[in-house]
Amino acid sequence: MSAPLLVARDVTVRLGGRPIVTAANLALGPGELVVLVGPNGAGKTTLMRALAGLLAADGDITLGDRPIAALAPRERAWAIAYLPQGHVFHWPMRADAIVALGRHPHADPLAAPSEQDRIAVAQALEATGATTLGPRLVSTLSGGERARIALARALATQAPILLADEPTAALDPRHQLVVMELLRATARSGGSVLAILHDLALAARFADRVIVMCDGALIVDAPPADALAPARLAETFGIEAVMVETGDGLVPLARRPI
Amino acid sequence: MRANIGKTNQIGLNSGLIALVLALAVLSLMVGPAGLSPRAALVALWDGEGVAGIIVRELRLPRTLLAGLIGATLGLSGAALQGLLRNPLAEPALFGAPQAAAAGASLVIAFGLAGATSLAVPFAGVAGALVSIGGLVAIAGRRASLTLTLLAGLALASFAGAATALVLNLAPNPFIALEIAFWLLGSLQDRSIEHVLLAAPFFALSWIVLAWHGRAYRALTLGEDAAASLGVDVDRTRLAVVVGVALGVGAAVAVAGAIGFVGLVAPHLVRRAVGYDPARVLLPGALTGAALLIAADIAVRFASGAVEIKLGVVTALIGVPFFIAMIFSERRMLEGAPS
Repeated sequence: MSAPLLVARDVTVRLGGRPIVTAANLALGPGELVVLVGPNGAGKTTLMRALAGLLAADGDITLGDRPIAALAPRERAWAIAYLPQGHVFHWPMRADAIVALGRHPHADPLAAPSEQDRIAVAQALEATGATTLGPRLVSTLSGGERARIALARALATQAPILLADEPTAALDPRHQLVVMELLRATARSGGSVLAILHDLALAARFADRVIVMCDGALIVDAPPADALAPARLAETFGIEAVMVETGDGLVPLARRPI
Repeated sequence: MRANIGKTNQIGLNSGLIALVLALAVLSLMVGPAGLSPRAALVALWDGEGVAGIIVRELRLPRTLLAGLIGATLGLSGAALQGLLRNPLAEPALFGAPQAAAAGASLVIAFGLAGATSLAVPFAGVAGALVSIGGLVAIAGRRASLTLTLLAGLALASFAGAATALVLNLAPNPFIALEIAFWLLGSLQDRSIEHVLLAAPFFALSWIVLAWHGRAYRALTLGEDAAASLGVDVDRTRLAVVVGVALGVGAAVAVAGAIGFVGLVAPHLVRRAVGYDPARVLLPGALTGAALLIAADIAVRFASGAVEIKLGVVTALIGVPFFIAMIFSERRMLEGAPS
């Protein structure tokens, strides 16, 4: 395996004085799709924002051999694409104009969009199956369509690392699969993807590794079958789960709360 | 290809607006107690001879220039502030920036620290506006919800009003109190080229600072986190908008008094035409602001009889109902957007 791209060592993040993430260690290497799961309030989003360089954190977060805090904002933006949850667009702009915002770190402020920008936007729209949504105003899109536009925006940056916070929320079953396959393809083509998911079945089926987070701490970092074993799910999520054979691996099915 | 069509439309829009501003400027040189034909007005402007020359060059040209510059500054300020706060209702006058600037400027005049055309006046105006705009962005900046913005605006406008009242209260003589009261109404009457030269550097600086961050406002469409992840320095953008708007509004108030709501109305009129793009709205928003204020200043001259109707009164009378209509028409979109 090649050297990890994004590494967090002993990372603690405090918000308003309260520790939200405590002593987290993780590494994200090229070609990997890693899924972060955990109950509500576990600190997943906070950890992801710290990894994206958006929050000050104690400990070391390094990109290659450089601390992330030492990078210029633009350098960081070239390397890390971050997709926040919620998929908010504050102005009812055209969907393709929103996707083109992903080219922000590459653009020359005084020049028109380059051919490369146009190709990146078109590819991102196509990858998310959103090409036909391009000319529409984002205010007219459904929640799932907005989620795909938001993901296309993150993909259009063409950064080697993608941090996606709940990219499949609000998506119908087919588009959940489309997005997961897309994230896997992004990883397979050499990128690194870290995604926060609530759907344990999707996590089990698509992730190379699953990190389970609970009360600010990373509890497990292991292949899905191990990380999502029923005993662990009982301990972290407080659910009774069974593993179901689906034809392409064992997938956890939550049965009832404990 | 689509982008090219958008670009052509944009050039068309902006050249149309420039033509409109120039036509209104010529009209503004013609209209007044002594009416002039377009040709006579332009000839008088060119050679400056005779009574017509004095009227056009010394009376009407300064107020036309000021109306255009102030209108453009207010339009641009509104558009930039709306881009930063991601809220079409953000408007300097709604949170008392002009009142705060007037309080600052009147303070230095009331206590004899400076004459009315001294550089200290715009500086004091800028300082006043800085307090008000900085206050708004500090309170409502990070999570700029509609409710929070409006409530913060209400508090700051009340505070600016109280500060002005305090200056009035403590004013050493009634003449100064009257001057301040008229100032708060906003007017371009009897302004000279000196006023233009006094304020112009502040306007230019304000334009540069605000327009420089156009792409940041566009990225902020995605929210602060996503914009920051795209390499936007959100804190620096916030500071730039505060400083840029304060420079523009403070200097405008220093030479023309409190003129509000141009920053609300002007960007709104052109926003749809630029596809709601918070960067592309800047130039047409500024041009529309210039056109609106020159037109309002012409209207004031038509409407005024023995008593001058103040320009700030006219813009507020038009602007406030417009603002209320906007709240109702955009309510769904505004409430739909999470805070």
